[in-house]
Amino acid sequence: MTSRDSALDLAEPTPVNWRRYAVIAGRIGLAILLILGWKFGAQVAGEVYVADPFLVFGRIVVDTLNGTLIHHTYVTLRLATIGFAIGCFFGVVFPFLLRRMPRLTAAIEPYIMASVGVPKYALVPLFILWFGIDDAPKLWLVGLLVFYPIFIAVFAGIRNVDRRLINMARVAGASEAAISREVIWNSLIPFFFAALKIALPRAVSATIIGEFLVGDAGLGFMIENSRQNFDTTGVFVGIVIATALVLVINAVLTLIDRRVNAWRPTERDMQL
Amino acid sequence: MAAQPLLEILGLGKRFATRAGRDPSPWVIQDLSFSVRDGEFLTIIGPSGSGKTTLLNMIAQIDTASGGEIRFQSQAAPISDPKSLNPGLSCKIGYVTQEDNLLPWRTTLQNVLFPLVVQGRLNDETRAHAQMLIRAVGLAGFEDHYPHELSGGMRKRASLIRTLVYDPPVILMDEPFGALDAQTRMQLQEDLLRLWNIGRKTIIFVTHDIAEAIALGDRTLVLTRAPARIAGEHTISIPRPREIRGIMTHPAFAELYQRIRAEVQ
Repeated sequence: MTSRDSALDLAEPTPVNWRRYAVIAGRIGLAILLILGWKFGAQVAGEVYVADPFLVFGRIVVDTLNGTLIHHTYVTLRLATIGFAIGCFFGVVFPFLLRRMPRLTAAIEPYIMASVGVPKYALVPLFILWFGIDDAPKLWLVGLLVFYPIFIAVFAGIRNVDRRLINMARVAGASEAAISREVIWNSLIPFFFAALKIALPRAVSATIIGEFLVGDAGLGFMIENSRQNFDTTGVFVGIVIATALVLVINAVLTLIDRRVNAWRPTERDMQL
Repeated sequence: MAAQPLLEILGLGKRFATRAGRDPSPWVIQDLSFSVRDGEFLTIIGPSGSGKTTLLNMIAQIDTASGGEIRFQSQAAPISDPKSLNPGLSCKIGYVTQEDNLLPWRTTLQNVLFPLVVQGRLNDETRAHAQMLIRAVGLAGFEDHYPHELSGGMRKRASLIRTLVYDPPVILMDEPFGALDAQTRMQLQEDLLRLWNIGRKTIIFVTHDIAEAIALGDRTLVLTRAPARIAGEHTISIPRPREIRGIMTHPAFAELYQRIRAEVQ
């Protein structure tokens, strides 16, 4: 082996530190500007329309300490997680089943695509009618909203798998199950993560909207309850917490994505 | 020589499905027959577009034939119906394709072990064999690298030993060294001959390079342009072990080269 054969003796590129600091400084600056803008808006519009940011943060501290905020957040997160798990499970399993049945897939594809167009939120009153006022209607809403982006991404991912890799695996003696697991699943992981970036925030917001309409706890209930009491600060607290929740979920997702896709050479500039 | 050939191709033909509104598609391969002995290194040479890859795909059972038969150890393989295809003929036929087709999310070692893992044959003995092959082709130290971190030549080596690792009796090779520079290519040809001398597999090696076909093979078949038929057959009598770097100066080489050249259109 000569050194010519190795593509690996490239020098490690040195990160330019001041650029990283400039980005961080920019972010902090933007955050300060946003809060100032918010404060200004509250001042101009009045507290009934836009809550004062400092009052909102104060309320967050108080409600966290007395436990109500934690309780509402827990209720929302729990529902969002279960709904997400259900939607995600079917969104992944369906395309794998359909892969084995190309004619059935061709037959039902227009129906699946038509069902994408049904406004899911408009179905909530029906869900309440059919499934009662417990968690069930909310789980249906969250499950459906999570199912579609994952189903479509995994479906497209399966169609995009390199045929040559599948043939290679077949010749090497891999069973259909081994091909699904090793070749197809690994090929569509980037598609799957792209779908998760849509589906996870959706799960949270769908749960909150479900809670507007039915239930007696959760962030959605808290927001709706505050609105009915003309407590704009309470509404803003709910929005801030929901946003923070989505941000945390996205950060965790990005971390997992980076670990799972560590082998990938590019994508470093593609973090969303 | 064994009386019965290991692999027989009898009257094999292939045409691809016609698209609506077009004339019936022409035959890519028509009435092609040849056989391969056990332990023989057969090279097949033909102009590009002569259906060489299609031929190997049919022998590897990842593509159907439109006519004819393929027999392995006198047993006809089911090659007419896409549903009954048995890719790799139950691990009896290995296939080193033109592209390396390494799994990009697996390291070199994991890629090489892949056939053993999916066949449920990974144990201490086969693992040691894999390690031996990795050292033999100079990939030692690169076991934990991903394919995109390897050079083209190293990827080829990895894909070559991924097939050797599970020891199929027949190995098909589709211009495996086509896209490499001359130096790397010669190095890999030497590696291949060395490995073949250890194992003496039956190899069907497709190429468009006349010199490569002569340097590696026991026998060379020349294919015509599509529809592919056999234009000529040559026994390469240059004794083994061969020195790839010096083979051009062998007295038999020039004569063979001229004869084959005249047949390749």
